[in-house]
Parts: sequence; structure tokens; C-alpha cells
Amino acid sequence: MSNALEINNLLFKWNNEDNFLLKINKLSIKNNNKVIMFGESGSGKSTLLNLISGILSPISGTIIIKNKKITQFTPNKKDAFRANNIGVIFQQFNILDYISPLQNILLPCFFTNFKKKNKKYFYDRAFELAHKLGLNKNILLQTNSNKLSVGQKQRVAILRSVINKPFLILADEPTSALDNKNKENFLDLLMTICETEKVTLLMVSHDTSLKKYFNSFINLEKISHSK
Amino acid sequence: MKILINLAYQSLLSRKITVFLTIISLTVSIVLFLSIDTLRLGAKKSFFGNVKSGDIILGSRSGEIQLLLYSLFQIGSPTNNISWESFQEISKKPEIDWIIPISLGDSHKQFRVMGTTKEYFDRFSYRKNQKLKYQEGTYFENTFDVVIGNDVAKMLNYKLEDSIIIAHGIASQSLHDEFPFKIKGILNKTGTSIDRLVLVSLEALEAIHKDWKTGSKIPTKINSKKNYTEQDLIPKEITAAIIKLKSPITIFKIQREINDYEFEPLQAIIPGIVLTKLWQVVSVTENIMLSISAMVIVSALIGLIAILYSTLNNRRKEMALLRIVGASPKTIFSLLLIEALIISFLSIIIAILFSQFLNLILFPILDQKFGIYLENKFLLLKDLYFFVIILFTSVFVSIFPALQAYKNSINDGI
Ligand SMILES: Nc1ncnc2c1ncn2[C@@H]1O[C@H](COP(=O)(O)OP(=O)(O)O)[C@@H](O)[C@H]1O
Ligand SMILES: [Mg+2]
Repeated sequence: MSNALEINNLLFKWNNEDNFLLKINKLSIKNNNKVIMFGESGSGKSTLLNLISGILSPISGTIIIKNKKITQFTPNKKDAFRANNIGVIFQQFNILDYISPLQNILLPCFFTNFKKKNKKYFYDRAFELAHKLGLNKNILLQTNSNKLSVGQKQRVAILRSVINKPFLILADEPTSALDNKNKENFLDLLMTICETEKVTLLMVSHDTSLKKYFNSFINLEKISHSK
Repeated sequence: MKILINLAYQSLLSRKITVFLTIISLTVSIVLFLSIDTLRLGAKKSFFGNVKSGDIILGSRSGEIQLLLYSLFQIGSPTNNISWESFQEISKKPEIDWIIPISLGDSHKQFRVMGTTKEYFDRFSYRKNQKLKYQEGTYFENTFDVVIGNDVAKMLNYKLEDSIIIAHGIASQSLHDEFPFKIKGILNKTGTSIDRLVLVSLEALEAIHKDWKTGSKIPTKINSKKNYTEQDLIPKEITAAIIKLKSPITIFKIQREINDYEFEPLQAIIPGIVLTKLWQVVSVTENIMLSISAMVIVSALIGLIAILYSTLNNRRKEMALLRIVGASPKTIFSLLLIEALIISFLSIIIAILFSQFLNLILFPILDQKFGIYLENKFLLLKDLYFFVIILFTSVFVSIFPALQAYKNSINDGI
């Protein structure tokens, strides 16, 4: 089994200041694995995810996703690669209130190849996946997304991360604001989707009780030499 | 692109109240600017519209602006008249193409009475060489016929063949009631001071003043009008005369000759020049008004940047999301510009509709109350330029908040 993600000798500082340093010599995640990474608040979890997604660039080191050295890409190519290959679930989900739930789900398609001929394909896919997660058409077609319940929001967030058939899903503490019932629900749904869609998952959290849902776990503080 | 416009539009829609207020302030400032500009051009047009007729105006010696005002606009009163003999003498100059005498002094209700000759009706031109036309009736046939301007007819509800009495002087109680006049013609609307004139022949003015001496009626027996011979009715004095020269080259020569006329203190003015002088005085206020409205636009644009800036922080997560799903910092930058463009575009559309509506209400009022007659032309080319400038400026000023969003979005992801 080959690696979905591979990080070598990564070094990152914010604006070259010395108050925070992220240094990872070696990290790899196997294809179709579901991995959780633990780390205290401020340990650099979000920073690492932003490096993997190509929003931030490291000072040195390589990040390889799907056998592509994304650290060598131009900014434009990074944006395109991210849009096509990486799905992201935000802390508190980050659903745009002013567009419909359906538009929220399809947002990653808008910035990629959302052409006439595959438009219908993605609409159908959105409705189908949503149906699987128990969201019916009426909910998806509401004009705004501000009336969604927490449960509905987390489903929309999962669907958005997966709609573009990504290779890798990154999730940044998506459960941190959820009660236990919602937390379990969310993880069940996420795992199901990752199974059926055959996506690799990297989730970061400080909640070690979530270990049981994943194939393996990494402790960021152990692999990183941050200070 | 379509997606960005859609996103921008829906995002604006979600911030209805701030966006609405910004649009209102921009709209109001644009309308203000447009109205002041229309008013300015309209005033200038009705001002300069009368000047087309003659090259030189002949009058008694007084201020040149004063002469211009009473001869062309019937504003103010002449201090002195000029004698018929001098008028006759000047008329003989070979350089003169035509010369039309006018005589002022009497009034009817709130309107001035002007004595003149038939030529006045043929020669008078306004705006782009438009000639006087009769809405009804025609030029006077008999001595005691009048032609009235369009506003006179409209405001006093006069029809052809109505009888009217002329009052001696302006705003005077003493009436020339022994000589009723008959309305023979009503002129078309011209948008010039002619609309507010009652026009009679010089002979008629002479006739009604025969029994008068220095402003009051001589209480002897009343003459019947039929007793006057043509000789009797030759005027003794006129107020001014409009002169057209055969060639404009001789303008300054004739002006000098009239100013040097030895038997009577006469004055010749070139209306275009005097009017320009007068307009320079007026246009100071005009420019102040225009700059004030320009500043109002500037402040509205600052308001536009302010709301774009103020929302940036709240929208950081939104921008980060867009980045994650594939938008580049450039896309985020354009998103903000598109929002500004939508706001100013909407403001312009609303401003156009609103100012048209305003014109519909205000133009008749301006005409009646101030004698400023404006034609309602929909959009002039210069308005289009103005709108393009507004669009460009609003996009330009929005570059600053957009740059800030661009900078934020370089580091902002998850
Ligand atoms: N945009 C930024 N500019 C500078 N420093 C930042 C920025 N974002 C985070 N940091 C710093 O980087 C460190 C790691 O933050 P973060 O990756 O958010 O940690 P975590 O997600 O594990 O809580 C913190 O010390 C934080 O102050
Ligand atoms: Mg974090």
C-alpha cells in the first residue's frame, strides 16, 4: 500500500519569527487510512493542515500528496490541486449563511471544473449523498443556510468536503464544539462516507477519546520539535 | 466569474441594511450632483438662449449689465430712454442689416408689456436658431391688438380675442383703461423671457400715453382712439434697440460710433460679451455648488470603502473557506471589487430613475417660479461619462479594502 501523504524534513515559521516553529522530520499516512492527530491547543495542528492544503508554504522540506510534490507547485497550481484533491472540514463547519445548503455543498465544484456537461452529475451526486446522510431536497433547497440545526450543519460540512471526489480529507477539530451525541453522529457519518468514497482522512483534535474511530493516531508533540 | 458575481450578490443581499444604506447615500449624492448640473446647464441655456438674435444692443448710457438685463430679459428698469431721432439716425448706418426698437415701461398684472415692431417676431431667434411660432392667432393687425407669451396665456387663462387692460408703469394702480387691447396671438413656449411678455406695437404705446404726462393722467377730455393719425403715433422715445450687422467684422466699429454719438448719451453693448461677464459672477456660486456635490459623492465613496473594510474581519472565515475550496487570493480580491461594482451600479440605476422622477416634478416648478425652462432629455452623453467615472472611482477606491482581503487570505486557511 502506498502513501497518501508523505512529509519530509518540514520546517515552518510564521513570518520568520522565532516565537513558533513547526519541524517535522518524517510523517506518512497510508492510502485509505483514517488517522487522527492529537496535539494541545497552540501546538500547530491547524498550521500543519494549512501547510498540507497548500495555503501556507514551508521554509524547507517536502510535502507529497498523491505522489505529487505539492511544495514545488506554483501558488496557482496549489490552489487548483487543493480544489481538486483535498476536502476540508472546518472547526464549527464554516457554513456560508447567505447561500443555500445545496450551494454550500457544491461550493468546491464552483471553483473547479463545473462545466455544463458535469454540472448535472455533481447536482445528482449532491442529492444522492445528502439522501444517504438523511438530508432531503427541501432542506438542501432552502434559500439560506442560517436555519440549519447543528446536526444538519455537520452533514453539509461532510458533504462539502467530499463532493469533489477528493483524495484526502482534512478535518480541523470538527467535534470540539459538539455535545456527545452529535459528536458520535458526526464521526459515524464521516467514517461511513470515507469508507464508501475511499478517501484518506486526517483529522486533528485534542480529544484523545476519539481514538477508537480511527485506524491509527499520531501525537503531533512527539513528532514535531515545536517550542 | 458568474459564480463570483452570484456569490458577491448573495453576500450583499445577506447584509441588506448596511448595503442598502450605502446605496442610498451613493444614490442621493449622485442625484444631487446630477440635479445641480442640470440646473446649472439649464440656467445657462435659458440665459444665453436669448442672445442669438442681435449683434449689438443700443440703449441709453447706463450700466452695461443693466442694459443687457432690461433689453433681453426684461429684468429691472431703464433709467433713460433714447430719442426716436437718434434711433432713426443710427438706423441709417450702412453696416446695419436690421434694427428693431423695443419699448418697455408698462405692465399687465405680473407681466411686462413690451412695445416693438413686426420685425421683432420675424427676427427673434432662440436656442439653436429657433424662430418664434404662434400657438394660436397671429401678429397684431390693428393698433390695439396684443400678442402674448405662452406663460401669460397659461397663467391668466387667456384666449384669443380676450380684452385686456394695460397698467401704467410696473406694479401700478393706474390703468390705461380707456384703451382695452385685444389678444390677437399667443406664442409658443420658448423657454425664454418672451414667454412672460405682453407684446404690443410701438404705436399703441404712443397712443395710450398721449394724455399722460410724467406718470399721471391729464384729467382733460378723453380722446377717442380713432382720432389719431399715423403721424401722431410715431413714438417719441424708445427704450432700446437690437441691431444685427451685415458682417460681424464691423461690430467694434459700430459699437465705438454709437458710444461716441454726439447728440445724446448712447451706449452699445455686445450681448454675448456682457452676458459672459455676468455669467462669470453667477458661475462662482455654480462652481461652489458643484464642488459641494462632488464632495458629497466623495464622502459617499468613503462610506463605501468603510463598509467594505468593516466587514472584512467578520468575513475572514468566509474568505478562508473560499480559499480552501480553490479560490486564489486574486479571486478574493476580485470578489470585493465585484461587490463594490454591484453597489455603485445599483446606485447609478436608482439615481437615474430617481432623478428622472425628480425632473418630472421639478421642471414645471422651475419654469413657473424661476423662469428656468429645462427640456427633459433622458440621458446625455456627459451623464454617461459621469456614470462611468463613478463606476471606475468606486472600483478604484475599493482596491484598498480588496488588497487587505487579499493579504489576509494569503495566510488564512483552516
Ligand atoms: N496567522 C498567524 N500568524 C502568526 N502566528 C500564527 C498565525 N496563526 C497561528 N499562529 C501561531 O501558530 C501557533 C500554532 O497555532 P495553530 O496552528 O492554530 O495551533 P492549533 O491549531 O494546534 O491550536 C500558535 O502559537 C499561534 O499563535
Ligand atoms: Mg487549530
